[in-house]
Amino acid sequence: MQRILIALLQFKNPILYLFLLGLSLSFASKRSSFHEYTLEKYGFFFSSKLYATRDKITRFIHLKQVNEQLLEENERLKTAALNSKDLLLYPTAMKTEKRFPFTVKKAHVLKNSFQNQRNFLTLDIGLKNGVKPEMGVISNNGILGVVHSVSENYANVISILHQDLKINVRTSQSPAFGSLVWSGKGPQEFKVEDIIVSNAHIAVGDTLITGGMSSYFPLGIPIGAISKLEKTEGSGYYSIEAQLFEDPSQIYYAYVIENMDFKEIQSLQKELPQ
Amino acid sequence: MKVFSLVPVFSFVILVLAQVLVFNHLHIFGSINPMFYLLFFFVYRFESNQTALIGLAFLLGFLIDFLSQSGGAHTVATLTIGFIRPLIIRYAFGVTMETPLSYFSDTRTPNKLIYLFLLVLLHHSLYFSLVYFSWDALSLILKNTLLTSIFSLILMGIALSFYPNKK
Repeated sequence: MQRILIALLQFKNPILYLFLLGLSLSFASKRSSFHEYTLEKYGFFFSSKLYATRDKITRFIHLKQVNEQLLEENERLKTAALNSKDLLLYPTAMKTEKRFPFTVKKAHVLKNSFQNQRNFLTLDIGLKNGVKPEMGVISNNGILGVVHSVSENYANVISILHQDLKINVRTSQSPAFGSLVWSGKGPQEFKVEDIIVSNAHIAVGDTLITGGMSSYFPLGIPIGAISKLEKTEGSGYYSIEAQLFEDPSQIYYAYVIENMDFKEIQSLQKELPQ
Repeated sequence: MKVFSLVPVFSFVILVLAQVLVFNHLHIFGSINPMFYLLFFFVYRFESNQTALIGLAFLLGFLIDFLSQSGGAHTVATLTIGFIRPLIIRYAFGVTMETPLSYFSDTRTPNKLIYLFLLVLLHHSLYFSLVYFSWDALSLILKNTLLTSIFSLILMGIALSFYPNKK
């Protein structure tokens, strides 16, 4: 105690000075809002650095949780967006009810490949979650493929990067339609085959959307854009190359589309004479 | 019994009144108000109680601030000068056995001038930095410090020349 007192007495001048300095600074900040503001600004400068660091750490810790939340939100938004009748991209196409009713399920892509000519994906949802074969699988900016086989917890999907899978497409501007097939080169390079030209005004840069003629994908999901257009001599067909909006080999989150009328459509088609 | 000198008390009161009533209303060239009250640091004897000086300096600045409705700038600047005055004295007069007892007992004029300059410059630069309190106003701070220092020094020089040079 005595030592403390001696130390205090020894430094009484600096202590007194600092005390009075604090007092006068507090007067200054009380009397002038400008000084108050400036002092607060300096205080805030330091505290904000501290909070920013803390925020970075906590955000990193919560990253996985936030990803899940975003995926759930996306699932809802995707359903709403696909169900809405006036999408920005093709307002006229949506006016008429040309689509089957569907629901959207979110999924993680567990395995993805693009090296083969016939690629498959694995999703982490299966029979338990109501996934059945021949459901469409889409991603944020395009389509991924069609469900091929399903186990209890997993689903095997024929990738869009599979040379036997043909997707029915049309352009958003004209009703001309054809089949989209992978060219087998880059993961974003596709061809459009069997195009039916009905006085079609097709140009490079036109957006390709799903045609709605299959029971896998509803009308109007954007897939890619026409990158090259050639009219072959002597025939009415175009030779069209297309570029996807999104690289299907780099997808980690997917949405499975369930066609609610699938059974009905299938049974109808079975009745047709083969 | 030690006789308590009334000189600092008188000069304290007179300096505060003079500053508030006269020198704060000079407005030389429109804006310059010399700070005459710094004379207190000459009147207060060099060897006197340092702790008391800190308290008195705070009181002086506070009264000036209070009576002239300024922010806390006078208080902070004067308080700081009161705190570092021993340093200034040491720098101006040197650490020798001849360190003067008071400003007036010393006859070496260059030392007195250095002391005066240091005191006024330090006080004014502190004061104007606190008034503007922004890096953007650096040129304004320097300009005001310089001009006000010149007039403060002139006025205090005149006042000090009236004091008898006691031996």
